[in-house]
Amino acid sequence: MSSIKEQFNQISPSEFFYSNRDLAGFSNPTRSLYTAVREFVENALDACDQKGILPDVHLIIKAVDPDKPDPKPYILTVKDNGPGIDADHIPLAFGTVLYGSKFGLKQARGMFGLGATMAILYGQITTNQPVTVKSSVDGVTQDVFELLLDIQKNKPVIVQHTTKEVSKKGLSVSICLEGDYSKAGNKIRDYVYETSLITPYASITFDDPKGEKFSHPRFVKEIPPPPTIIRPHPHGIDVERIRRMIVESQFEIPTIDDAMIEKVRKDLGLSVKSFTFAAIMEKAKKKWKTLPRQVRVVISLMSFLKMDFEKLNKIKIEDIDMPNKKLYYWDFGDSQSKSVDMDPESQYYKQLTNTVQGEPLTTFLTKRFQRIGPTTAVKFAEYAGFKPEKRMGTLSNQELVDLSDALQKFEDFMAPDSTCLAPLGAEPLEKGIKKFFNPDFAAVVQRPASAYSGFPFIIEMGIAYGGDIKTGGPHVYRYANRIPLLYDEGSDVVLKVVNETDWGRYKVKGEPPFIIVSHICSTRIPYKTAGKENVADRPEIERELKLALQLLSRKLAAYMSKRGQADMAKKRANLYAKYIPLIAEFCTELAGKKKEPNYKKIINENVIESKQTVEEENEIGDN
Amino acid sequence: MKLATTKKEQAKIDARSNKADVKQKNILEMLKSHGAKIYDDLDNGQFPKFSIPSRSVNNIVYDKKLRQYILGSNAAVRSSRNSAQLRSFTQLMWLAFFANRLTKERKSSTLRDIYYSSQAFAIEFEDQSESDNIIVDLEAVTSKPREDFHIFPEERSSIFGDLTIEYTIPGYEGKKMNLSNHPDGYSIGPSLTTAELVDTSAEIVIAIEKGGLFTRFVEEQVDKKFKSIIINTGGQAPRSTRTLLKRLHEEMNLPVIVLTDGDVYGEHIAMVIKSGSANAAHLRDLTVPDAKWVGVWATDIEKYKLPTIPMTESDIKRCYDLQKDPRYQDGVWKKELDVFLRLKRKAELEAFSKYGLTNITDKYLPQKLELAKSL
Repeated sequence: MSSIKEQFNQISPSEFFYSNRDLAGFSNPTRSLYTAVREFVENALDACDQKGILPDVHLIIKAVDPDKPDPKPYILTVKDNGPGIDADHIPLAFGTVLYGSKFGLKQARGMFGLGATMAILYGQITTNQPVTVKSSVDGVTQDVFELLLDIQKNKPVIVQHTTKEVSKKGLSVSICLEGDYSKAGNKIRDYVYETSLITPYASITFDDPKGEKFSHPRFVKEIPPPPTIIRPHPHGIDVERIRRMIVESQFEIPTIDDAMIEKVRKDLGLSVKSFTFAAIMEKAKKKWKTLPRQVRVVISLMSFLKMDFEKLNKIKIEDIDMPNKKLYYWDFGDSQSKSVDMDPESQYYKQLTNTVQGEPLTTFLTKRFQRIGPTTAVKFAEYAGFKPEKRMGTLSNQELVDLSDALQKFEDFMAPDSTCLAPLGAEPLEKGIKKFFNPDFAAVVQRPASAYSGFPFIIEMGIAYGGDIKTGGPHVYRYANRIPLLYDEGSDVVLKVVNETDWGRYKVKGEPPFIIVSHICSTRIPYKTAGKENVADRPEIERELKLALQLLSRKLAAYMSKRGQADMAKKRANLYAKYIPLIAEFCTELAGKKKEPNYKKIINENVIESKQTVEEENEIGDN
Repeated sequence: MKLATTKKEQAKIDARSNKADVKQKNILEMLKSHGAKIYDDLDNGQFPKFSIPSRSVNNIVYDKKLRQYILGSNAAVRSSRNSAQLRSFTQLMWLAFFANRLTKERKSSTLRDIYYSSQAFAIEFEDQSESDNIIVDLEAVTSKPREDFHIFPEERSSIFGDLTIEYTIPGYEGKKMNLSNHPDGYSIGPSLTTAELVDTSAEIVIAIEKGGLFTRFVEEQVDKKFKSIIINTGGQAPRSTRTLLKRLHEEMNLPVIVLTDGDVYGEHIAMVIKSGSANAAHLRDLTVPDAKWVGVWATDIEKYKLPTIPMTESDIKRCYDLQKDPRYQDGVWKKELDVFLRLKRKAELEAFSKYGLTNITDKYLPQKLELAKSL
């Protein structure tokens, strides 16, 4: 028998992403250039959105040596007018993988700023050039950094740091990377074009390597309301999440009255005479293991308050804020609220955490979750088979699992709060569609918020027909959290829903000039792959997409049938104009007349009166 | 005397050509009245329309008295207001207009001619079947066969025998012809169809399905031996041939017998001569209700030990179809059909050649002619 010694090395996040870069969309020079553009543009737009700034984003791609054949190094620069980043944070933000500010439950284009760092990393390994970050948070001074990433240590290396005076706030990031613009160009132009459709309040310009300039000025002056960070919805919860919430939650405050003090004194085996704080603690330490939980809690509290029994009698505990390590109490003597800090390293702190029972279930539900009121909480407790006053801290593992299941199955919760979502809004979307396609018909809908696995989402959809739209439709423009999705459309849920629609039913036939714009907003888009290009077919999302599409399709059908009637009337008028003169000619000779009959009346009447019900070939006779 | 005869003959000629004139005049009058109605509608600012007897299957009924299929009383309105009908309305108007010219000028044309002629007037027909269909519409509206409008089919059958006719077509008016002068027979075209039947020594008309046998019959002088007029129907008898058969029967008082191949199609060729087809249910005067089918019968196959070939699937299907036809419910028609179905074999007229080329004229025909008298 031989034993194999395995060596385990901890690898840094940078190293991990370095070796798995194709996961994040950096598989080849074409895709990488496109992905890098996306990451920086989206970061710029997110930064502006969060501060309510109308974004001006300027994208520049320049070949280092224009005469070289693709793939070759390009300099990619994205400038914005956003809030900028503090000089202190810049090295970490751009020189570390998994550093970012976008945590929390709300809708944003990207998460954790991961993609941008990946792009920087990709640039560095393909061209060995540093990233240049220029940032001004005050519109007066600008910090200019040149950074490299230490891949093994996952730490930034500052190559150069200077400051200069500027007149505008904002961030500019510039990287050098190997790319293939001749192949990626189409997608990048599409990306910029489609982004400006879903971000009508942004001005986006793009200077491409061939010297072409693409400019998409904003045509909506108002930013849609920014998303807020919110509590989770019960349908989106799992056991682990509940466990963490219980740990995070504030604890039940024991009432310290005369009886309680008496109990503590008794349990410590102390006589009625006064004892100093130090003496009490000394005694408690010795007898700790024999003390009941309630007494332990009181002792723990006393340890932070540094009070003896006499002083303890004159205060009332108000709040124990475990996460913030603060103990609040009301001093009857001074008639004011006071607080002391708790040392999280002390054994008493742990005692408080471990022993306090936690909130009653109903309080836990109403306080920790969105959109649950006391009545619903009680109803739910009954449904789940828990006492409403059941303390969260006393739940067994099995009970936790039961609670989690019940939370997901209970149907009387209100729909998830969608304030954490930032849909574009029906009006700007319609404006965008009309501006981009100049259609004969357009309709948009914003579905009410819904949830899959507890993650709220909203479907916005638009449909347009005719005008400048190319034939061969439906052409589908897919968006998720205001990002256009350009690749891998074959396996996308939106395409699935569109393809399953029988357009003939909606009077859309042949190769129609027809587009569909679909926007899915969610705190978490269920992408099929890390490349963020296609959305998985969750039944809840599929259902909402279908409902949105059906609603719009019915509107389209109504339009099409009107259009069809008008077409028919026109066609009929043309037919009359073509055939009636012939009939007149033939019957004139047949009837042996010289002059043709006055048939103009019929034709003229029917050009004007173009709504004419078709007279069917009616069978007359006796059966 | 001589003069008198000439005068008498001249009077006869006049009478005949008057007859043709009257017919032409009637047709023209009828077309004119249709045209005038349409003209007035247009002039009054109304969409012209007219009614067409429905030719759908459920409007075709068998009339036992007339012994033929006729159209029921269902009719459909064709209106120029209806955009779906406007095109066919115009096509029909054109056809009436064109037929009017043909009739006036006494010129003949074919179905194919009609299809091409339309193109000179910006009237498009998708194909000839569309123009053929419009021609049937005209027949249905006017209850006149297309031949009355000088429109003739391509197919030609032929006639041979001692029959004197007198032409009425322009350029030949009054010219006489005996139809036994040319052994290949005379093709039954517009001039023959419109000719007057003057005289004959024949006592019977033999309609035969096939050109080959027709030639044999002429060679073997069947016309003389059996005092007959021989007509080659060339398969299913064209309408002009059926009209001629009817006229020979009615105007010359000649019985008509039909000889066909010994199969279900042959049987039906005879039936169409006798009582018409569902396709021509809108027309009368195309049938010879007294015509007799004398062979080749299914029972002849066994009786004369004829060489046979097996029936095809479609032959058998046709048998079952005809069993549902009211005309096949009794007599020789039903009996022979049942025997065909039993035998599942068929025999052609040529099958008699097994017993010598003249066997059919020497042996079979005399027997059948004898039999016909008792049918």
